[in-house]
Amino acid sequence: MAKTTLTFLLAGMLVVNGHAMAQEQDKQKDAHDHHDHSGHAATQNEHDHSGHDMDKHDHSGHSMSQQSGSAVDHAAEHGAAADHGHDHSIDHSQHDTQATEHGDLHHHHHMDHDHIMDHEGTMIMGQNLDKLPSSCKSISEEVEITVRAGRKYAAKFPGTAFAFDQQQWHVKPCAKVTWHFINEDDIRHQFMMHGLPKYLYKYGMFHLEVTGPKTVSGTIIVPGSDDTFLVHCDISHHMEKGMKAQLVVGKGGDDIPSIPGVTSYNINDTYQAENLPKASDKAEPNAVMRQITTFTNNNFRNYGMMAIGVLIGLICIPILRAIAFGRKGN
Amino acid sequence: MPNHIVIALLTVYTMLFAVSAQAASKLPETIKVDRAALTSEPMCDPKISPAWREAQEIEGVKIEASPGCSPDNPAWIAAAVKGTNHISMDTLMKTGLSPDAIIKTDDLDGDGDPDRIIIKLEIMELNGKSPDFPGIIPTFDIAPGIQPGAWVFAPKTSGMSTENFESVRANPLLRLPSPVIRVEVGDIVQIVLENTHYFPHSIHLHGVDHPFSHGEHGGQDGVPQTSEVELMPGGRRVYQFQPRQPGTMFYHCHVQTHTHLTMGLAGMIVIEENKPNNWLQTLNIGAGHVRHPSVAVREQFTQEYDLHYHAMDKELSDMVQKYNDPRLIARDMNQRYDITDATEDYYTLNGLSFPYTLRESLIVVEPDQKIKLRMLNSGGEMIAVHTHGHHATITHYDGVEHNPMAQIMRDVFDMAPAQRLDLKLETINDGKHSYGEGDWLIHDHREKGITTNGMAEGGSMSSIVYKSYLGEHGMPKVSHFGIDLSEFFTKEYYERRYPIWQDLDEWASLGSPAGQMGLDPATQTSLLNALYGLLIGLVIYFIFAKREGIKQSITATVSRLKSPKGSNE
Ligand SMILES: [Cu+2]
Ligand SMILES: [Cu+2]
Repeated sequence: MAKTTLTFLLAGMLVVNGHAMAQEQDKQKDAHDHHDHSGHAATQNEHDHSGHDMDKHDHSGHSMSQQSGSAVDHAAEHGAAADHGHDHSIDHSQHDTQATEHGDLHHHHHMDHDHIMDHEGTMIMGQNLDKLPSSCKSISEEVEITVRAGRKYAAKFPGTAFAFDQQQWHVKPCAKVTWHFINEDDIRHQFMMHGLPKYLYKYGMFHLEVTGPKTVSGTIIVPGSDDTFLVHCDISHHMEKGMKAQLVVGKGGDDIPSIPGVTSYNINDTYQAENLPKASDKAEPNAVMRQITTFTNNNFRNYGMMAIGVLIGLICIPILRAIAFGRKGN
Repeated sequence: MPNHIVIALLTVYTMLFAVSAQAASKLPETIKVDRAALTSEPMCDPKISPAWREAQEIEGVKIEASPGCSPDNPAWIAAAVKGTNHISMDTLMKTGLSPDAIIKTDDLDGDGDPDRIIIKLEIMELNGKSPDFPGIIPTFDIAPGIQPGAWVFAPKTSGMSTENFESVRANPLLRLPSPVIRVEVGDIVQIVLENTHYFPHSIHLHGVDHPFSHGEHGGQDGVPQTSEVELMPGGRRVYQFQPRQPGTMFYHCHVQTHTHLTMGLAGMIVIEENKPNNWLQTLNIGAGHVRHPSVAVREQFTQEYDLHYHAMDKELSDMVQKYNDPRLIARDMNQRYDITDATEDYYTLNGLSFPYTLRESLIVVEPDQKIKLRMLNSGGEMIAVHTHGHHATITHYDGVEHNPMAQIMRDVFDMAPAQRLDLKLETINDGKHSYGEGDWLIHDHREKGITTNGMAEGGSMSSIVYKSYLGEHGMPKVSHFGIDLSEFFTKEYYERRYPIWQDLDEWASLGSPAGQMGLDPATQTSLLNALYGLLIGLVIYFIFAKREGIKQSITATVSRLKSPKGSNE
């Protein structure tokens, strides 16, 4: 009799312990979730938007915070810009003429070979219409790809806020690709590609930027080897919250992480079921009834565990007995 | 035989007591933290060109000298005065602003300045979580190593959110606080909010004369319960008004205000008097020194400063660093955060805490000047700003001029949440207006206001510095008093890992004590226990080994005890 009680106790302890362990694990998960942000020096170096191997890009010209030493003669370049036929790239007709614009037609057309910007900030940077990458003998194909950007494309990816309409595109090596970037939101978005060869693309970058609803187009020639390039919008937290994609050239290279629907996130949030109100809760006849059922539900869980303990205990008795008798036998 | 054991026991005990007695007679040594072990930052950020401090003229815009360490980019000022539509591409490229960030047109009253002003604001997150790497992006430090998650209204920018592709540091236009906006009485102003953030937001123009509803743009008080629905991500909304009254006012997001305002969606908006040729600095990015003051201010004052006091809650800021999924951030902020249990942790002046306030928010003065200070408290509690060495006059409350005959001088300025005060600071050395030249502190006198997450010296404190107390890099010159501020420019200081008084004397009398020499108390106890165990074991062993002898002696003793009894019977 005493032996049986002991077995029950043991079994009970096992159950309790198991429960405690599960809780402990949850806690550890929580603790893990609180990242230590103190070691930023390290993360700055580790930071890599794409998972690509990027060597040092020279951003001296792109960084807009500092006074750049070289004052370019823009007046002269404005003239040059006029016959360059870049205006086809920026479609002014699509812009909705809101009352916000006051008919000031002072246009800035900045032309720096690979940097075109109009008075609304529509921008084409790093365009390449004719320079063949060294790994290409000729252009393999000429393709036009339309990319749409907007909040509504995030709808099919729960937990994101912004997205492109597609998350990856495939082209052949040495393809000449013309991108038609359609921003369907009323804010700025970017189509920014990284990791391109720097002898052709300043900073290794191709960049379209436009405040919607409006379209901007630009052309690049992709390198001759299989590779995968990051495409994203660099406005604060647009990439983090879904506006991320990849261009796969040929068979592609390494996948880029955290592209909605394509690749998994490097760092995942933890989700718990919420105690959300349900219509079925309302169907309960009255509050007292609900209390009783909740009570029985909770107790049933406890009694259930106890019953399992009893069962384990019962199974264990013969084993324990066998061990005890075995010893005596010896 | 048992005698030996007793002797052995006694010896061991004596030894043990000797050990513990020795530990108690000498306290641990002082360990001095080597300065080389600290992550030292230069006191004045060397990236900023000293040429920015000089008085200059860009695009025909006169920009006053600003001798502090980190003055505003002069190109920003030129763009803000002329509008991004009236400057050269070269200047525009130096600002990082979008070409449509500030559009100025139409001199409607023919007085020589533009009267239609369009200001485009985006909403940017600072120090938010990334799903790609264990860090935050884009980073903005309010003090060394202090990077609270924050949201700001930012002037519409062009290009990247970070300095460049390798850096995680925010583009300099994306910063706390939200920029100070300046427009003129009678201007037709459109503030265009382009919601680039992943949450809904709005703008409420607190104190600014604006119609509740506009014919074209609909309700525009910014309140989702009265005038308009929340502006969703990706959306644009126009707030149009033509103010009839001047004054120092306040704008902020009115969606879930108890969290959005604290997160940083709050800025100062100044309505200036209508004057001829009044080309205003439409945006004062980062607040602080106004290097192109309005005509009215120039007429009455030598200098002008915008002082925006704010407070942030770490618990709230942490939420955007805990999750990437906007649904989880929304859940924690809207349904789990309880502001009635909340405490403020970060106190900032113009978006920064001490010591960074010394870089940007010094009030640099000379004797016999008249300085206009516009102050806003966007924190959740009353603050009490004290000006050391000076009494200043309160000229305006909440943008409205106080009766000049009844204006008073004080040295503590209490400001309720959302309150604005305009002060006239006169550096007349008469023992009342000023006690003379110096590096005089200006700080919130609630003592927590000079802490950063509870660690002093931090918070919103700054200085009123006379030029004779200004060093070559625009930092206060106090080294001749033996003062060294460099310890504050280390993240270890705010991580609470630096014994702040260790350098006050040669031998670091108030430095950090080392751990216990030899054995710490816990190890000592466990060693003692082990020893006891050993002794008990020995005793048992002896009892076991000599059990025959013991048995015999016991029997002998018993029989000896018994025998007299027996004989008695
Ligand atoms: Cu975007
Ligand atoms: Cu908001």
